[in-house]
Amino acid sequence: MPQHVPAQVEGDTAGSAEPVPPPGAVPGETPRRVPGARGPRALLTGLPLLLAAALWGLSLPHIGFRSMGEYGLLDRLPVTYYLSLLVLTAGFLAALRRAGTAPWWPALYCAGLLMALKGVPAVLYDSERYPWASKHDAVVNHLLANGELRPDEHLSGNMSAYDQWPGFFTLNGGLVRAFGADGAATYLNWAPIVLGLLTMPVLILIYRTFSEDRRLVWTAVWIFQLANWVGQDYFAPQGLAYLLHLAVLAVVVRHFVRPGAAGRLRSRSWPDPAAAAVPPPTGTRQRAVCVVVLVPLLVAINAVHQLTPVMLCVTLLAFSLTRRYRNLGLLAVAGALMLAWDLTMGRPLFTETLGTLRDSLGQLTQNSRAGYAGQLTGAGPELAGRANVLMVLAVAVLAGAALLLRRRLVHSALPLLLASVAPVPLFVVNDYGGEMLFRVYLFALPGAAFFAAAALVPAAGGTGAHRVRPAVRRICAVALPVTLVALLAGFMPSYYGKERMNYTPPAETALVTRTLDRAPEGSLILATTGSFPQALHRYDRLEHWFFAEQELPENVGMLKDPAGYLSTRLPPATTAYVILTRTQDIYTAGEGLLPPGGFAALTRDLTASPLFHVVERTGYGVVLRYDSP
Amino acid sequence: MSENRQPALPARRTLIRAALALSGWVALAATALPGGAPLRWIPGLLFVCFGPGLALLYPQPGPLRPGARLEAAALAAPVGLSLAVLTATALFLVRSFSGTAFLVTLAALTTLASALPGLPLPAATRGAVERAGATPVRRR
Repeated sequence: MPQHVPAQVEGDTAGSAEPVPPPGAVPGETPRRVPGARGPRALLTGLPLLLAAALWGLSLPHIGFRSMGEYGLLDRLPVTYYLSLLVLTAGFLAALRRAGTAPWWPALYCAGLLMALKGVPAVLYDSERYPWASKHDAVVNHLLANGELRPDEHLSGNMSAYDQWPGFFTLNGGLVRAFGADGAATYLNWAPIVLGLLTMPVLILIYRTFSEDRRLVWTAVWIFQLANWVGQDYFAPQGLAYLLHLAVLAVVVRHFVRPGAAGRLRSRSWPDPAAAAVPPPTGTRQRAVCVVVLVPLLVAINAVHQLTPVMLCVTLLAFSLTRRYRNLGLLAVAGALMLAWDLTMGRPLFTETLGTLRDSLGQLTQNSRAGYAGQLTGAGPELAGRANVLMVLAVAVLAGAALLLRRRLVHSALPLLLASVAPVPLFVVNDYGGEMLFRVYLFALPGAAFFAAAALVPAAGGTGAHRVRPAVRRICAVALPVTLVALLAGFMPSYYGKERMNYTPPAETALVTRTLDRAPEGSLILATTGSFPQALHRYDRLEHWFFAEQELPENVGMLKDPAGYLSTRLPPATTAYVILTRTQDIYTAGEGLLPPGGFAALTRDLTASPLFHVVERTGYGVVLRYDSP
Repeated sequence: MSENRQPALPARRTLIRAALALSGWVALAATALPGGAPLRWIPGLLFVCFGPGLALLYPQPGPLRPGARLEAAALAAPVGLSLAVLTATALFLVRSFSGTAFLVTLAALTTLASALPGLPLPAATRGAVERAGATPVRRR
């Protein structure tokens, strides 16, 4: 069959007529054999995947998620579960050896890892995982009930922000109706899996723009998954906006190379052997067309999330500092779209945030701390906290090693480095509700994972200046599996160490929903924190005060006389309900908002107070009513 | 992932285009099934995630550069979901949102897009600015 293929251009393997078998290919095999990569070798490569799947499936009935203790899911996962992860890692390492000729195996292993790591709650839980996901479920229900957006409406707790950046919720409104589901609650536990599967090809696309070495690309994807413990892929706008953000970056790095700007990267001999050829340059008109193509993605990012457009703009700004990717037009369009959204749909919250910027600007320590207040308390949360720090350090050290040892690859993949460091200055600006630390880490992760992989996967077949010493190869051959297992060991406590806060029994959800359904319109809902299931059910009809979301010393003062503390702060003629549930107890203790025993004391004192009357008490919480005199 | 391939054969391309053009209407027809039925939500999810994006990106004109197919596959979901976000948000803004309006708009867009060539992402095809000497060759 005749085939039109680009000509071989010196230093431009992207245009090579006969693709050179990429590193990782077994000598003698050619990519043409890929579709037929069956037989004993394929069986051996696939066997660990099947074994891991079997072990994982066998472990499911033995996972005691309903009886989690202070270590969350960690000590409720049976040995077979952990074994399945180890078998999966071993299989991935074996598949990596054939990544050049049989790329579907590493892909299947990466998908398997995603499912093995994050699929347990999706398969097992009988309720919405993570109270914030149920908050977002409430927003979808709110939009579907109203049938319109009300960005200017004043709602308690800044909830109107969701009408100002509604994209994620309107999309899910469409999905709920298309599925004929009662609400997003029926599928929201699957968000990490779906978003992970959709993100993976975009990541591969970005990584392959900078490396021809399939082993490096798949190792980077694997490390990304292990290092992505921050949990921002739950049912929330951030997960979707992140996917769109990465897609924009993929288009930019592939289609916005300026002519004549690649310099010695176009040479055949200078770049790292693992580096991919710089994508072909594009003319001004072509880049302008690409900007038009990107506009729907850019508008959608702005419609979905407040922070991601800022991250995107700072990343594009960092790209523009290089000769290769100086695209001020794209930066101007992205900035203009962000500003246009912020000044129209997002105006109320945008202007409010601008007003507080003066206070938060330059508060580096304050802006970069995790959470509202308090210290992680208890064995599980403390272990999770330590694991978080170690994971960040491990990825940073590995990426740092690549920056020192593979400088030519870093030069080729400079946009990835810039994308990783560009969000860091945002610490200077705002704390984003105690979340800025995690968001900066999340946006830095794609680049960091790539360079971490580069530190562990030496270039194949390098000669001359690129020759890799056999000793280095031997070290890497040991370091790679050890590091992957170590990162796996770090992921588990980071992601599941606080899981007791995330699993909310259906009976607790029912208690909260029942109470909020019965509360008259305009009632004030009091709770220690908003981190309990369905906390914001009917949020447009009720007012909220999460009174313990403040510094610990203030809460210690509050605990001396909680009834007096609350009653003196409630407006006259208020009907208020105090909801105190099991998940709040776990959250306030684990996050250090209340001292040990504080929640029990609070419950006891309020229940005993003549100012509050018990409406309902179950094994999952108590509801009190307050009628102001 | 296969590389450096000629776009699919005309008959196969036509079939793919036809399937993409119909995908939205299939998802819409599936809404006649009971709520939550797998035969209802699976076509709906697949269509919203991939239908509009593939229709816009897949039928690329001319010979493709390495990675172009991966690019179309990887960007299909982000592009499709972006359009779905914009469609749903616009429908809410004009107070005309319904599941049917959402699917009909996306299905019509997908049908229209599948009748047109793919989006002109220059570095995916031979359209990019070339250095001197980079000319296409015919190869068997």
